[in-house]
Amino acid sequence: MPGFIIVALIGAILSGISLAVFAPYVTLRRISYMGEALSHIAFAGIAIALISGMNLTLGAWIFVSIVALLISWLSRKEKIQEANTITIFLSLSMALGIILISLSKNYAFDLSSYLFGNVLLISISEVWALGILNVLNILFILIFYKELFYLSYNPEMAKVFRIRATFIDYLFYLLLAANIVLNLKSAGIILVTAQLILPAVIAFNLASRLGWIILISAIAAVLSALIGFYLSFVFDLPTGATIVIVQASMYALSFIFKRRK
Amino acid sequence: MIEFRDVQYRVGGISILKDINLTIPDGVFAAIIGPNGAGKSTLIKLLLGMQDPSEGKILIDDSPRDSWLKHNGFGYLPQREEYDRGFPATALDIVLMGIAGRIPWGRRVGDEHRERALSIMQDTGIIDKAHSPIGNLSGGEFQRVMLSRAILSDSKYLILDEPEAGIDRHSVVSFFKLLKELNDAGKTVITVSHDLHTLNKYSNFLICLNKTLHCHDHSELIDQQLIDKTFDEHTRLIEKDY
Ligand SMILES: Nc1ncnc2c1ncn2[C@@H]1O[C@H](COP(=O)(O)OP(=O)(O)OP(=O)(O)O)[C@@H](O)[C@H]1O
Ligand SMILES: [Mg+2]
Repeated sequence: MPGFIIVALIGAILSGISLAVFAPYVTLRRISYMGEALSHIAFAGIAIALISGMNLTLGAWIFVSIVALLISWLSRKEKIQEANTITIFLSLSMALGIILISLSKNYAFDLSSYLFGNVLLISISEVWALGILNVLNILFILIFYKELFYLSYNPEMAKVFRIRATFIDYLFYLLLAANIVLNLKSAGIILVTAQLILPAVIAFNLASRLGWIILISAIAAVLSALIGFYLSFVFDLPTGATIVIVQASMYALSFIFKRRK
Repeated sequence: MIEFRDVQYRVGGISILKDINLTIPDGVFAAIIGPNGAGKSTLIKLLLGMQDPSEGKILIDDSPRDSWLKHNGFGYLPQREEYDRGFPATALDIVLMGIAGRIPWGRRVGDEHRERALSIMQDTGIIDKAHSPIGNLSGGEFQRVMLSRAILSDSKYLILDEPEAGIDRHSVVSFFKLLKELNDAGKTVITVSHDLHTLNKYSNFLICLNKTLHCHDHSELIDQQLIDKTFDEHTRLIEKDY
């Protein structure tokens, strides 16, 4: 196997795991639209970075983090229709991004690679970054396991019972932003959104304790990366899309084993 | 001791609570009564820091509410709790929420906490369902879970918003007896209730609320006249508003 394929495979696995451990929380908190929203918003961040000559990933992360924290703060401050506000943010950022990119006349910038992603283009340094991100994710979940559990259950009551939900909520959104931005290049907007939902819903069908759900979600991500990679080479298919098809099939299969509740 | 000083609460220019001056001494079994929409739950949420007064001050143990809340908490049973029936938690998990805020980061809930939670669940009559997923609990069963959680939080104040809601008639009495035991053991109990008959037996401090206070005093007996006054005002308000 050529080296770049091994790098890409490791990248796909790490990318899958990083999104999969967040996916159960995203689903439980009913913020699965955040995956889509933040990856669109990242697009505007990339455009701004492109114009100002900043590192694209860093620029996008800073931009997405600011927006994510703003959304977290707003939704706690006001009982706003979170989904509505975010959809407005989303369209606005996307429009801004497209205008900025067209103004920058940077034709070398490959727009479609950010929409659909290409895991085969992932660099070794990006794989390292994903590895570090995975360590941060797992540490975050281990350290704040009970806090995240109750925050996902009901943030208002968590606060009453003196669980420091606000601080952890900010950290959660910062890490979520980092996960989305770092995965954007390899997975693209559409696949990031899918990978923030599918592994979790598979796991919810198979387990009823949160610890197991997170583990199964991660395993589902690894398996689908391996199977998806293999199939994409055998049948010469786009890798990311194949991974999502595999995940969706696993989701359908998981209903057979669904625990009777 | 809990003090409300000239507290006003308005939403969008509409007055919900007006001129609340109230002192609740430690150790009482206080009952907040009043018709639907009187502002009982709002009064409690102001105390808990879930909402902020438009005007006025709330003092707890002589400290402003927010600084007291930095180091202390309340045992609280909400009137309604929003949760997802599919959430992967057992009844015991939800009870343990009462103590989770006092366990440092990175530390799991210990066996000693679990044992204490289970012994409270024994008292509240929900021990059989300790390991059931919350989605499988009935309304009254979940109410018992929430009461257990409030007790486990070990605050000196137990704030309960209609704890008897959904509880069968037979158990309501044992519910109140349990609250009375906790009260005798030194906790200040503040409960909203519509069960005037049962309250009469257990409560020793009455707060009649209907947008503004109609009484707040030690009273062994619920005075029929005061109740009429509290609830009549409501009738008049309805006539005025609509
Ligand atoms: N966020 C809000 N926005 C607008 N009005 C509100 C808000 N919260 C409460 N109210 C109004 O305040 C009034 C008091 O509500 P509250 O829930 O405190 O009543 P309550 O005494 O607890 O009634 P119940 O016995 O039905 O529980 C009601 O008229 C309600 O419509
Ligand atoms: Mg109420």
